[in-house]
Amino acid sequence: MIELIGGWLAAVMIVWIYSFVYKDNVLYRLAEHLFVGTAAGYSIALSLDSLNRTAFGQMVKGVEYWHLIIPILLGLTFFFKYSKKYYWVARYGVGVNVAVGAALALRAAPMANIIKQINAAVLPLWVAGDPLKTFNNWLMILITLGGLTYFIFTFFPKTEGKAGPVRIAYKALVTIGIYGMMVGFGYLFANTIMTRVGFLIGIILQYLQPRFDATLVAMILAIIAIAFAVLKKK
Amino acid sequence: MAKEEKRRPFGMAQIIYTLLVISIVIPLLNPVGLPIGISSTTRDVYNYIENTLPAGKPVLIDLYYEMAARAELEPQVAAVIKHLFEKNCKLVFVSTITYGPIVFELLKSTAADLFADKTYGVDYVFLGYIAGNEPAVRSLATSIRGTVAVDNYGTAISALQMMANIDKAEDFALVFIASSGTDTFGWYVRQWYTPYDIPLLFGALSVIGPSIKPYVDAGQAIGMLTGQRSAAEYETLVGRKGLGLASMDAQSFAHALILIFIIIGNIILFATRSKPKPEGGRRK
Repeated sequence: MIELIGGWLAAVMIVWIYSFVYKDNVLYRLAEHLFVGTAAGYSIALSLDSLNRTAFGQMVKGVEYWHLIIPILLGLTFFFKYSKKYYWVARYGVGVNVAVGAALALRAAPMANIIKQINAAVLPLWVAGDPLKTFNNWLMILITLGGLTYFIFTFFPKTEGKAGPVRIAYKALVTIGIYGMMVGFGYLFANTIMTRVGFLIGIILQYLQPRFDATLVAMILAIIAIAFAVLKKK
Repeated sequence: MAKEEKRRPFGMAQIIYTLLVISIVIPLLNPVGLPIGISSTTRDVYNYIENTLPAGKPVLIDLYYEMAARAELEPQVAAVIKHLFEKNCKLVFVSTITYGPIVFELLKSTAADLFADKTYGVDYVFLGYIAGNEPAVRSLATSIRGTVAVDNYGTAISALQMMANIDKAEDFALVFIASSGTDTFGWYVRQWYTPYDIPLLFGALSVIGPSIKPYVDAGQAIGMLTGQRSAAEYETLVGRKGLGLASMDAQSFAHALILIFIIIGNIILFATRSKPKPEGGRRK
């Protein structure tokens, strides 16, 4: 029974949220506020549960885990942000948090995000018997160099006088970089559409139920939401 | 002109939305069955799990997505789980986002056939939500038992039969990250692949694909699945019809419609550009 009520509640909220596509209305805002409130409450509950399982649950296992009291206390210092007098105490928790995060990320970042990526851009410019691969490698290298050149903001070849080889090469690379980025943006845009349409398909599939009454109620809810918007407009 | 538009109950945007919904609903109700080719990206992933991944080895699966992203990621996850279970892999589910426990339960209910003959604690476990983002991912790589005392349901990790020999990164043969965010993939590349050389498999939203492809091209991940398209391809390969395949016709029709809108928009733009500007005023 609870699952049934939950299902219908979800259906109502979805219709009210999608009514925003027509126009902002009171039912949309009601659903939005309910979602934000529920999500915040749920996240707090789950975070406390995580704290229980990763910290308190460990500490009861033995004295070797008692050191976990230190991060717990540092975490509690975050709440000093709400005190006008002692807000500075929160900086200790934030400081340690930032330091640990940065240290962990920096430990592997040079290899993972720089060296490996540079290695991947070093490609053979001639692949015997595979002209397509050769073309692809040239394209990859030129667009990588072009993109990097486009974002060099400290060096510009002189623009007055006759164009020298440096200026010609610079302009050519920048142009290749721009076109490469345009292709990239197009790829990104097409994927964005696919994701958004995918979300919509997921929602619509929930409504394409074999039960006629479910579809009917969903339609009535949509009409109510639109009617609210039209009446408010008048 | 502006006033006239204001009085209209249905503007251009609403017409486009309506057409978009129609273009999705009709193929969902009456599937056309457009052919689906298998991309080399998806086939590479399939071949790796089929031929390279050792049978019966533990695999970590991070479910890092919220309800909105289920339509894109759940079909991928279900298809990959089917393949991994067929290879008798032991699956350790975890989530580094608060929605994890919900999406895991929804996954189990929508893909009940996959878990039907599997036993919790023997074939798979769910560690639940673990707060901390990248430091939490790092901590899991060092020691699961040192990170979390109990699983999502309150059972001690030491009491789970499957976890007897699974504790740290080196114990896993593969990590599958199904994420609606971009950062998650970087966490695992930095904390699992770079120090321990653990193979990674990415399951991402279509929109995130271009951002994580450099990791795959650099060999830091064995491959990636992006969106419903990859899910449909993987469902074809493992022989399990799911949401991925069901949505492909609708995706194609919706994209065709958007393509038409883009062409019409460009034609209108070029047509209005060619008109001479009225003197002293803005072009209308």
